[in-house]
Amino acid sequence: MDNQKFSPEESLQLIQSMINKTRQDMSDNGIYFLVWGWITFIACAGQFILKNIYHYEKHYLVWNLIILGIAFSIYQGIKDGKRQKAKTYIGESMKYLWMGMGISFFVLSMILSKLGWGTVVFPFFMLLYGLGTFISGNFIQFRPLIAGGIIAWILAITAVFVEYDYQILFGAAAILFSYIIPAYMLRHKNKYSTD
Amino acid sequence: MSPSEKKLTEKESLELIATMINKAKDSYYDTGISAIMWGAVIAICSIVKLSEIHFGYRLPFDIYLLTIIAIIPQIFITIKEKKERKVKSYDDTYMDYIWLGFGICIFLLIFIVNSIFSSWEPVAAEYRQLTGHDSPFLFREFIAPLFLLLYGLPTFITGAACKFKPMLWGGIFCWICCLASIYTTIKVDLLLTGASAIMAWLIPGILMEKEYRIYKREQASLDV
Repeated sequence: MDNQKFSPEESLQLIQSMINKTRQDMSDNGIYFLVWGWITFIACAGQFILKNIYHYEKHYLVWNLIILGIAFSIYQGIKDGKRQKAKTYIGESMKYLWMGMGISFFVLSMILSKLGWGTVVFPFFMLLYGLGTFISGNFIQFRPLIAGGIIAWILAITAVFVEYDYQILFGAAAILFSYIIPAYMLRHKNKYSTD
Repeated sequence: MSPSEKKLTEKESLELIATMINKAKDSYYDTGISAIMWGAVIAICSIVKLSEIHFGYRLPFDIYLLTIIAIIPQIFITIKEKKERKVKSYDDTYMDYIWLGFGICIFLLIFIVNSIFSSWEPVAAEYRQLTGHDSPFLFREFIAPLFLLLYGLPTFITGAACKFKPMLWGGIFCWICCLASIYTTIKVDLLLTGASAIMAWLIPGILMEKEYRIYKREQASLDV
């Protein structure tokens, strides 16, 4: 390969174009953020309503909605895999970040299965929501994601001081601020800049 | 669409990747010292704690204070490395945010775990008083898995993104130990934590340092 030298300006432009490309890719793949965000949000709100308003004993069954998310992710993943896309270094790093996050959510679920789902569960999830969005936000230089990550962390700290029932609502708020709102904002921004 | 947001062709992308990797290779100055230090500190803390429990003695101080003390040399190492870096590549920026996020999460996890402990301990004490034996549920059994979960995440991402296999496998090793430690006693948990620190940070750190010294020697010979 021709080892062409880049000027500092050209290098910066290259990096900026990579960031924009990754941001665009993230916005295109924002469907994952939105589907998982809404599923988690509905599950949290649903569990709170079933437990506190309808006093339904098996309120946790609402979390079976996750199966829909898994089915969707597999279907969409296969579909996206067939579409050849140009890869970027940042995009690849982002892929590893979310791969690691996925494994972490699975491992955390295994811990909580033994610890008990009726105990302090939500702060640990909020901690991970915050970490993923904080790193992603800094990486693609998108402030709403960074702010969403920090809000999720603050909610994780405060959730420790409230009862389990209200921790569910804190979980819903964390997902709203760290996944759903930034995903819509990123989509809007990219749509606007493309137009 | 603005010029900076044009779609890249496959050829352009490949060139971009090659440029970034070459750029990172030329300027990546991670000496591995941080990884060696943290690997050693966590391994020492776990092994000393294990010996305290096993042999029934108590040090006059909490051995985990070492992790707080280790922050001081870490600050100096970071400042020194920052000065030595020729160019701050995107690789460096990415790693900085991963490890900054990890550091914040470790502090938050300590806070959450301590808060749970302070609300759980009176209940456990009351149970002990009423029944004459410990509760079958011991929260302390779950502390190691929670920390191992977090240790694995940045290690795995760093290893995968930098194409540095010892760290990638180290991260996976942490997660395997995490899953195992859910079902083991606190003594085994501590042993697994020590082993994870060695596999995820100490050994990759030594390998990194070795590579860095070879690179420095090559650079010195080129300069002569």
